[in-house]
Amino acid sequence: MTAAVDIQSVTKVFNEGAAAVAAFGPGDLRVEAGEFVSLLGPSGCGKSTLLLMVAGLLESSSGAITVKGRRVSGPRTDIGIMFQDSTLVPWRTVRGNIELQLELRNLDVRGYEDRIRSLLQQVNLEDFAASAPYELSGGMRQRAAFCQALVHDPDTLLLDEPLGKLDAMTRESIRRDLQNLWLDKKQTVLLVTHSIEEAVQLSNRVVVISPRPGRIEKILEIDLPWPRDLATKNSSRFSEYVMEIQLIFQRYGVI
Amino acid sequence: MIPGLLEKLGQWFSRSWMFMCFFAGFFLFWEYSIGWFDVPRYILPRPTEIITKSAADIDRLLYYTWVTGSESFTGYIIAIVIAVPLGLAIAFSSILRRTIYPFFVSVEMVPKIAFAPLFISWLGFGFLPKIIIVFLVCFFPIVLNAILAFSSLSEELTRFCSATGATRTRAFLKVRLPAALPQCFVGFKYGAINATVGATIAEFIGSDQGLGFYIQIVTGNMRPDLAFAAIFMLTALGLFLFGLVTLAERLLVPWHISQRRNK
Ligand SMILES: Nc1ncnc2c1ncn2[C@@H]1O[C@H](COP(=O)(O)OP(=O)(O)OP(=O)(O)O)[C@@H](O)[C@H]1O
Ligand SMILES: [Mg+2]
Repeated sequence: MTAAVDIQSVTKVFNEGAAAVAAFGPGDLRVEAGEFVSLLGPSGCGKSTLLLMVAGLLESSSGAITVKGRRVSGPRTDIGIMFQDSTLVPWRTVRGNIELQLELRNLDVRGYEDRIRSLLQQVNLEDFAASAPYELSGGMRQRAAFCQALVHDPDTLLLDEPLGKLDAMTRESIRRDLQNLWLDKKQTVLLVTHSIEEAVQLSNRVVVISPRPGRIEKILEIDLPWPRDLATKNSSRFSEYVMEIQLIFQRYGVI
Repeated sequence: MIPGLLEKLGQWFSRSWMFMCFFAGFFLFWEYSIGWFDVPRYILPRPTEIITKSAADIDRLLYYTWVTGSESFTGYIIAIVIAVPLGLAIAFSSILRRTIYPFFVSVEMVPKIAFAPLFISWLGFGFLPKIIIVFLVCFFPIVLNAILAFSSLSEELTRFCSATGATRTRAFLKVRLPAALPQCFVGFKYGAINATVGATIAEFIGSDQGLGFYIQIVTGNMRPDLAFAAIFMLTALGLFLFGLVTLAERLLVPWHISQRRNK
């Protein structure tokens, strides 16, 4: 079977000559269809850079990436990507922003009304569909951006710290929603996160990346039963995974 | 309807009463200090005098306001109509950005008004040289802000558009254009402020009608009261033009920070 995402000795160097910044790599990673993989690493290690390269929005300096068997050579429109910084536009409401994804793709908005409603409901924003982004809290905006990234129902999802700005409680509940969403549809997910717990809770595999220039330090198979709820998180096996990753980062001196 | 209107009026008043008091105080001081300091009326007339004396010449004042107003408005609109598409073209064409753009930036440093006598000598006393001068003083702030507006879409939104596979036109209409409007309006506002200045100075230099012409004539006749009346008309004209732009901004960009009212 062809891998959903195949990253082969990919590197990224920004700028040239004396100003060159090695941002990522070289790194190899194969993600199978339906797999949930987290990219975990310290700030500046090239996680966003890697995600952008997979999406075809940034050219790699060397190596090759294929998505669903096709070599990435330009922006890929057959995936869903949620960027680290907000892509909500201030002149549209929450609903309008979600529809923007569809309109830009030239899809018929009317056919997606139910989907938009259920997405908003899942992230607890149904009462704010008509609000402008500036009327929302940071966490609410992030939830709206999450709906925007998912509305066209892609089978491959690239999520760049989708829960980064959420408070601990909302974070917990959105993680659960994200997990249910994935258990339901089994999309291929590449999730960038800073949170070790989040990575262990949500993923089939956790990719631990070293400080800049990011290299893939270790790939951990997380062998825990689904769905992973609070009880799972309190189990000793969960703590062992978390501890193992913490030790790696401790060695790097980042924690 | 009526209570709503009253409420709006009340809100407006509670926001601006301090300013209005200051404004009234300014004119009262002007009115009475003339007497206190014994200022001769051929130097500085009282506000009440300006109003009563100019009433006799109101027909001419109104007509000249119309003349200066249409010069300003026409030159301003032509500047917008040319500058916005040009700004768009410069923002998207790397050749234009490397040629015309630096040229515009350097020309921006030239005081455009210095060309006014030349245009008058080339084209005479008519409407056309006035419009050209107004155009010149409005064009540069509008075009430079339009270039900035169309070339400063955030990296995230640029990538978002590419990731959706949207055509250039679609991405332009749905994202780039609305995102550019606030910065465009910055240019429109500068242009609106410059327009009446340009028209007035052009009339100073060579003209047989308009408020600039009028100010020169009545000042020569030792009638500062009439000059002030013309200045009030010019102020009203400027406010009117600026008000139009602000209104358009409120309609087109109601979502922008500068347009939000904290309720
Ligand atoms: N456009 C750019 N030009 C030059 N260097 C860049 C550019 N974008 C990113 N970098 C560099 O590449 C490195 C990786 O950046 P990247 O955004 O991928 O990090 P990250 O792992 O996503 O960090 P964070 O967790 O803070 O978001 C950084 O050290 C940054 O300085
Ligand atoms: Mg990042």
